[in-house]
Amino acid sequence: MTTFERLNEIFREVFDDDTIELKPETTANDVDGWDSLSHVNLILAIETKFAITFSQKELLTFRNVGDLYKSIEKKLESRK
Amino acid sequence: MFFNSIEYFLFLPAIYLIFYFTPDRFRWIVLLSGSIFFYASLMQPYLLLVLFGVMLITYMFGKLIATRSEEKEKKRLFWIGAGINLAILVGMKYLPFITENLDLLLKAIFGKAVIPVSPLIVSIGVSFYVFQAISYLSDVYLEIQEPERHFGYFALYISFFPKILQGPIERANTLLPQLKKPYEFNYDNMRSGLLLFTWGLFKKVVIADRLAVIVNTVYGNVNAFTGLSLIIATYAYAIQIYMDFSGYTDMALGTARLFNINLTDNFNRPYLATSVAEFWRRWHISFSSWLQDYLFKPLQMRMRNWKSWGSVIALLITFFISGLWHGAAWTFAIWGLLHGLYMAVAVLYKPLQKKLYKKLKLNGTKILKLWKIFMTFNLVSFAWIFFRAESLRDSMLILKKLFPLDPGKVDIVNLYELGRFETLILLISLLVFIVCIKSLNKLLKSGTYWRFGIRYSFYLLLLIYILLLGNFGYSDYIYMGF
Repeated sequence: MTTFERLNEIFREVFDDDTIELKPETTANDVDGWDSLSHVNLILAIETKFAITFSQKELLTFRNVGDLYKSIEKKLESRK
Repeated sequence: MFFNSIEYFLFLPAIYLIFYFTPDRFRWIVLLSGSIFFYASLMQPYLLLVLFGVMLITYMFGKLIATRSEEKEKKRLFWIGAGINLAILVGMKYLPFITENLDLLLKAIFGKAVIPVSPLIVSIGVSFYVFQAISYLSDVYLEIQEPERHFGYFALYISFFPKILQGPIERANTLLPQLKKPYEFNYDNMRSGLLLFTWGLFKKVVIADRLAVIVNTVYGNVNAFTGLSLIIATYAYAIQIYMDFSGYTDMALGTARLFNINLTDNFNRPYLATSVAEFWRRWHISFSSWLQDYLFKPLQMRMRNWKSWGSVIALLITFFISGLWHGAAWTFAIWGLLHGLYMAVAVLYKPLQKKLYKKLKLNGTKILKLWKIFMTFNLVSFAWIFFRAESLRDSMLILKKLFPLDPGKVDIVNLYELGRFETLILLISLLVFIVCIKSLNKLLKSGTYWRFGIRYSFYLLLLIYILLLGNFGYSDYIYMGF
């Protein structure tokens, strides 16, 4: 499974919705129930599943799924 | 000089004409000097000094942050820049409150006055442009905004006269590019800008200032009124503060539109919100989104390991500060905490609520929606009691008269200080507001919504209505005090 597919899985679990199909340009407006409260759960789930930690600055500058994905990839890359 | 004053009705056409006849590359000078003149008309020379200080410091730190490549250094500079801005705000607004409370405490300990209590100073506008300055520095630090190199445009971004007194609090990436665009006369902007201004004037001088008389009578002498009168006055205040502040915002947006500049709309039918959280997405939007981006989110993310409880604490802190932003008094702090509490309870109660609605098969029903709107409006109105009460003691007295409800009939004679005729005008005007609001929104969007004759008759009638029934003696805006 690619990183992007894994990310999609996490979204489906957190928002309890098997129909979610992420695109890099997906934003909070496109996913039902993605508000500031569920966002925390999402970030926590991503950090746990990928065993990474985001910096405060990164968390405040994600504009869409693409930004989030790039940051995850970068962290996984640097660990290899 | 306020929007509903004769001076402003002279100032606005004058500055527009000068602006119009000036070549594009000098237009910022016209707007900037107009803005400074506008702010100077408050006749508080030290305020100009404060404004200039905020402009210069924020401009310099914005540029400095961008020159550094090391993250740590950027962060340090951001905190110094934001810290100086905060210190200015605290010095202007909170010194009397802090020294007064400290004085009380020290008196209790030592039995005599130890420190001098700072006198109150006028700080109109400061909380608005300081917040805007902090958002600018944050955005530069987060690298979502290039620092502005041109001091003139930057100064105008901070001080643009339609928004300097009461906001909207504008982000750099939405306002700065608009200030630099070449100007071309646009008939539709001119038409909808003037209409929006007039509509805001109607809300302010016809409705809000009449409601103010009822509210001031009751809240000015809480002791003399029974529970029912207090309830009426509180609902009246809920409507008044909306008409006052959204009326001001309409006038600000209308003014800016004459110069082809779109400011952020602060209101989206807030009293139709179905939850307190939604209310805050519809009320004073430029302020609540500021709180969300620069206070709530950073706090929430820092405490993310505590899950829902982290969000709860972040909410309480955010709204406590939001309360104090409105004024240095315990009543505002309680108002803010109440809103924080409402939302914190909602966060914790949400899973249960979901199950409950499912079981009762209420999801998606109209009755549930109406119930939610009703509850939200009442929760918000209840909180307004603390916001409006003149002291902590007054607000406690009101609560005592409301729970349990102090019977006694409505003190009509006292309550309607306004007089029967004026009360009738108020009720008719509220009806006019409700009947016209939909058409007005369509009319603002499209100049051909009604036929020419009807359109111009409407404009004319609205204008005559305001001129005849507007209360131009009043120059108080609620949010001006914040």
